[in-house]
Amino acid sequence: MMTKSSLIALFVLVFMGFFPLFVDSAWLAIGTTFLVFSVVALSQDIILGRAGVFHMGHAMFFGMGAYTTAILNVNFGLPILATLLPAIIVPMVFAFILVAPIIHLRGDYLLVATIGFNIIFIQVLQNDVFGLTGGPNGLFGIDVVKLFGFELSSQTHMYYMAFLLLGVTLLIIRNLDRSKFGRAMFYIHKDEIAAQSMGINIRYFKLYAFILGAGIAGAAGSMFSIQYSAVSPEAFNVTQSIMFFTIVLVGGSASLPGVLIGTFIMFVLPEMFREFETARYLVFGIAMILTMILRPRGIWPVKFGTIPDFLKKEVK
Amino acid sequence: MDIFLQQMVNGLTIGSLYALVALGYTMVYGVMRLINFAHGDLVAFSAFIGLSVYAQIFGESVTSLGAIIVVFALSALIVAFVGVLLERLAYRPLRTAPRLSAVVSALGAGLVIQNSVMLIWGPNMKIFPSNFFPATIWEIGGIVITFTQVMILGVSSVLMVGLYFFIHQTKIGTAIRAVAIDQDAAKLMGINVGRIIMIIFIIGSALGAVAGLFIGSYYRGITFDMGWMYGLNAFVAAIMGGIGNIPGAMLGGLLLGLFNAMITGYISTQWAETFTFVLLIAILVFRPTGILGETVAEKV
Repeated sequence: MMTKSSLIALFVLVFMGFFPLFVDSAWLAIGTTFLVFSVVALSQDIILGRAGVFHMGHAMFFGMGAYTTAILNVNFGLPILATLLPAIIVPMVFAFILVAPIIHLRGDYLLVATIGFNIIFIQVLQNDVFGLTGGPNGLFGIDVVKLFGFELSSQTHMYYMAFLLLGVTLLIIRNLDRSKFGRAMFYIHKDEIAAQSMGINIRYFKLYAFILGAGIAGAAGSMFSIQYSAVSPEAFNVTQSIMFFTIVLVGGSASLPGVLIGTFIMFVLPEMFREFETARYLVFGIAMILTMILRPRGIWPVKFGTIPDFLKKEVK
Repeated sequence: MDIFLQQMVNGLTIGSLYALVALGYTMVYGVMRLINFAHGDLVAFSAFIGLSVYAQIFGESVTSLGAIIVVFALSALIVAFVGVLLERLAYRPLRTAPRLSAVVSALGAGLVIQNSVMLIWGPNMKIFPSNFFPATIWEIGGIVITFTQVMILGVSSVLMVGLYFFIHQTKIGTAIRAVAIDQDAAKLMGINVGRIIMIIFIIGSALGAVAGLFIGSYYRGITFDMGWMYGLNAFVAAIMGGIGNIPGAMLGGLLLGLFNAMITGYISTQWAETFTFVLLIAILVFRPTGILGETVAEKV
């Protein structure tokens, strides 16, 4: 049976699918950016919204994916498709190495530690470590994707690749919600101490969320570097991380429509109001405060009952 | 050895500035469990306000103790007022909301302050007048100490000692500590929690204002977006010391200042931030609540 929300979701997906047929290339680029940033925001939401881990350094994992693709392609000449897997695995490995020793920290301490990771990451990129990252200018001339001899290089191709990526991400999140991991995260978020006394290994599941989120962000990063055929450090700095953090909380954490609306507000609206360049962020700041005062749980919050919907379905 | 002692003096100077700003973070956190991300921008705002007050009243040419005191007092007053306004408009309505909502509100408030400064004073760097403090320099055994450094060290020590006694010896200070430990119990004891939070914001903002003016007179160049960097460093200092703990913020600030000065003096400036955060994470791995932090139960 179709519920109201799945009807809306279907409508949005169909709309997004046919979007390239009736817009010009400028809008197509904005649409592609929206799709890529949606994927990053959704992966941030797995960590922040679903597992409830305070994390403000997500642009780092996004950047790791982008730079892995760029470095392997520009410096080592690997075809783009061969860089996709490393672009997913490298952020996952770093998420494990960096976060495992500190995952037990209290929320705010974790927040500042993740900001710290992001700042260190940017300094590594800017100082051109091992001559691989191209320093402050970044790397240029990333190849186009070649599939069975076809070159997927047009804006429309980019758009549909990003669309596919979003589809896969939504599928992963749906499966996550219905799995043991999703349930564990739900209970950890709801009440950490109760979850712990039920025998849920909190550290394990929080780390799991971190690694999964990092991997998805890495894939989005790879897509990002293909779209612009260049990467540079400032696209992945702390300001971007704060943006992803804000998207999840303004939209509504653990809520798919919420996160997508958040991405739309934070990335697409600014593109539409370029003419108000200087006062833009002032208005943004006021809007952030007002949204939180009027809707502290976000614009489209997820409805948490005592028993989540996805559990009720399985019980029946 | 000369470099070491010189960097020691520089480090203590920067460290006391971090400590002054860190006190603002730590007091708000101690009472409200809120990371006040807008605090750094208040510090930047203070530097601009101070510059304008100085230019408007004294025409950038007067150097006298009286003029300096007037500039500091007026800036502290204005910034404290903005701090209270910030609490009223952006934080008070969110006191019962989820904790992260208040963090987003704080980030939004930071954007508002930062961009207001940009719209009022313009996006370009402003320069503090060279005669804001007398350009006197002392040379003691090869180490150069400027008048500004002596002022920074002197004033911030007095303020920090004063704050310590205020918190521990006065009635209001006792009330602040009580609210920090348990808001509901404090309320039952007849403490007006709203008023205490207002006092916290007045003190924190005023200390940040003093730091902002010192940052301006020490580094000379000020930009509308500099608050983020000083704020983040000060916040790291507060975390290192154990957030919510006032002596911890002072210790963390001095420690971070000295550490930064040694890194820039002996290793490199390009990696300064990296070393800062590696130190922070190392401290957190071994002492998860900071150097002087106590183990407190997390409020859910």
